[in-house]
Amino acid sequence: MASLAKIVIPNEKALTTRDNSRESRSRISSYSLALVTFLTALLIVGIIGTIVWKGAPSLTWEFLSQSPKANMSAGGIWPMIRGSLLLMGGTLLAVLPAGILGGIFLAEYAGRGRLARLMHACVTSLAGTPSIVFGLFGLAVFVLLLKWKFCLLAGWLTLAVFSLPTVVLTTETAIRSVPDSLIEGALSLGLSKWQTMWKVVLPNAMPGILSGLILTTGRAAGEAPPILLTAGIYYSTSKFELNSGMLFQPIENLPYHLAEGYRQGGVIPDRIVWGTCLSLMLFVLLLNIGAVIFRSRMRWKQLQH
Amino acid sequence: MWGSVWYVRSDALRMRKLRLLDRGMEALVYIAGALIVLVVAAIFYYLVHESRPAFDRKFTYGFLFALQPSEGEFEKDLSYDPNASILTCNWEGDDALDSKEEGLPLGTLDSFKGISSLVTVAANGGSNGSQAAGNLYRDEWKGPQKAETAHDFVLYAFATPEYKSKTMFLAWDVHTGSNPSALPYNLKLELVGKPAGADLDFASIDLKLNPKGRIKIPTFIAATESDRIKGYRFRISAKSVSGTLAATLRNFFSTVWGPTIAHPSYGMIPLLLSTMLITFVAVALASPIAIASAVYLAEIAPTRLREILKPLIEMLASVPTIVLGYFGLMLLAPIVQKTIAQPLGLDSGRCLLTAALIMAVLIIPTILTLSEDALRSVPDYMRSGGEALGLTRKETLRKVILPAAKAGIISAIMLGVARALGETMIVWVLSGGTPKMPIASSLTEAAKSMVQPTRGIPDTIGIEMGNVTFGEQHYGHLFLLGLVLFVLTLLLNLTAFKFARRHEWRH
Repeated sequence: MASLAKIVIPNEKALTTRDNSRESRSRISSYSLALVTFLTALLIVGIIGTIVWKGAPSLTWEFLSQSPKANMSAGGIWPMIRGSLLLMGGTLLAVLPAGILGGIFLAEYAGRGRLARLMHACVTSLAGTPSIVFGLFGLAVFVLLLKWKFCLLAGWLTLAVFSLPTVVLTTETAIRSVPDSLIEGALSLGLSKWQTMWKVVLPNAMPGILSGLILTTGRAAGEAPPILLTAGIYYSTSKFELNSGMLFQPIENLPYHLAEGYRQGGVIPDRIVWGTCLSLMLFVLLLNIGAVIFRSRMRWKQLQH
Repeated sequence: MWGSVWYVRSDALRMRKLRLLDRGMEALVYIAGALIVLVVAAIFYYLVHESRPAFDRKFTYGFLFALQPSEGEFEKDLSYDPNASILTCNWEGDDALDSKEEGLPLGTLDSFKGISSLVTVAANGGSNGSQAAGNLYRDEWKGPQKAETAHDFVLYAFATPEYKSKTMFLAWDVHTGSNPSALPYNLKLELVGKPAGADLDFASIDLKLNPKGRIKIPTFIAATESDRIKGYRFRISAKSVSGTLAATLRNFFSTVWGPTIAHPSYGMIPLLLSTMLITFVAVALASPIAIASAVYLAEIAPTRLREILKPLIEMLASVPTIVLGYFGLMLLAPIVQKTIAQPLGLDSGRCLLTAALIMAVLIIPTILTLSEDALRSVPDYMRSGGEALGLTRKETLRKVILPAAKAGIISAIMLGVARALGETMIVWVLSGGTPKMPIASSLTEAAKSMVQPTRGIPDTIGIEMGNVTFGEQHYGHLFLLGLVLFVLTLLLNLTAFKFARRHEWRH
């Protein structure tokens, strides 16, 4: 016993000293990793904060509720905000059926075989396709082939195609996160597939699906290239009316306004540009935050039941 | 008893209804699934379909010819020489693209009386001298030519009796656009007839190799009207070397993008290179930062801290890229201008570097989120296995977890690359300049081309689509650019997908 202790003790000492140095080195590197992470977060918060700081002074009620005046050098940006909201709403409605059904397909019907792999490859690569390519597609099909010209409807459908893969993916995730026990329970009670889907799976997955929808279409409405090639107009002289006629008219909106304003040589004064930037950012950001809050509240409610 | 039968029947009905609903839903769901594949196919199809006008392309070239005196003053720039003959296709750029103009009929010899004049006259075809002297044209304007067609022009050269010198020069100036090698024609100047007794040893000259030059020829004087076509007769032949398809593709892979210059050229190489450079710099900057942060968030950070930091970083995804672009334009570009561009002798901060920096910020969250997912999907038993082997946390991380998550991290970087390749608005705002080839002849030149204004593929599509006529060659080429972008990102996405999938940890 004693001899064993003699053997063990020096070894243990050696081990612990080595361990200490190894451990301390590892701490140094983990501090540097932490530093990088904090700096990254700081950079991003800094960028967003700067945009807020620069744009906040011009963000008055008049700015948000008036039309541009004096060749964009004064007045507000209400028509652009209205246009962006319209674009987003229509896109959401257009992508909703195909997106949800596609998500159901991937989650429940595609299985795990070859077909599922092919579908996933399609969806993920479509989700990573540049938005300008969707713009070209919309231009070719809706604007030129169907001869709709630049109009709201073309913008809706283009943005719907653009956000389709992301909506499909978020829907799939939401449906997959519904516990199997619920589905098995429903099926074992003799519910048909449709009833299970309609009464059990979808209500449970709905918070995830809806927040994914809002998030995706909100981001899509902030994306300039698809709108640029299908629906945008810098300044519309015709009076806006909320009727079916608006479907076939181009529409003013925030990202297009910024892009075209830049292309036309910067007639918009800096103050208004910052204000427009901030409005566009808040437009998307608030929708995102809203979606997140919406989801967590729905989850909370479901838990309480 | 009846009640129970009724019950059974209604139940059967109900079951049938339910089964129908099942079928209906199944059909709808399958249609939606098919729709996704259809969208991919349709995008591909329409990009190809709409780029057809690019292959229906007409190529332009033009000549200036003049006889010049061998003594005394003469105009070196042929386009200012009043006696020069123009044989041209689309001399004036886009405006004259489809207008075919005939030349002015040449006046009689009497109209040259009293002037010491050297005249070259162009005539279309008729190389065997069948041209009547009265039908000579001073200038011959032609519409743009298709690559498959071959063309002959005949040039008559004579001097009026007032010209005294023994020799004269035939000078020429060929315009084939900024990129002569892209012109799908061989251009040749041949001597097909000379006046009796003239001492001239000359066979033919390749005008593409010698776009500017002159040769000395003995003077020929046209004394009478009919003499004018009996003197020197040159033939300029434009022979096509390839069909329109090959010619368009060759031009597409050349180094000059100039759709609005006199002889339009659609070489996408400079656009592709600057897109790739921006992407490379952005990914090189962003991926170490993103991966380090991902390692920290996934492996080291306490859960509560992670739940604050991760959403903060991912918040950037909801800043529209045009806003990021403006941020770079208004705040970063002036800094780059003062610290880097001006010391190098350039005056704008809107350059490749600024675009790459903003692009790096854009793709940090993309790479971070995906590589964090990859790290977190490494099963816990590998971590505990590492610890059980007596490794420290750092060693476990480096030798066990990182190798296990390698595939996922690489695919995250690939997706970052795809994102940066296709980003339009940042480059639109930040590098709005002329498309130029980056130079890498020396280190300072390379540094200079990093801060020079450039243009990438996606923003070129966006910017120029506003100025094109739909259905014409420029339009077609923009769709061709879109196709290149689509195929590139598709390949990247598919590779990343396959990569991540093959090495996925299954629980």
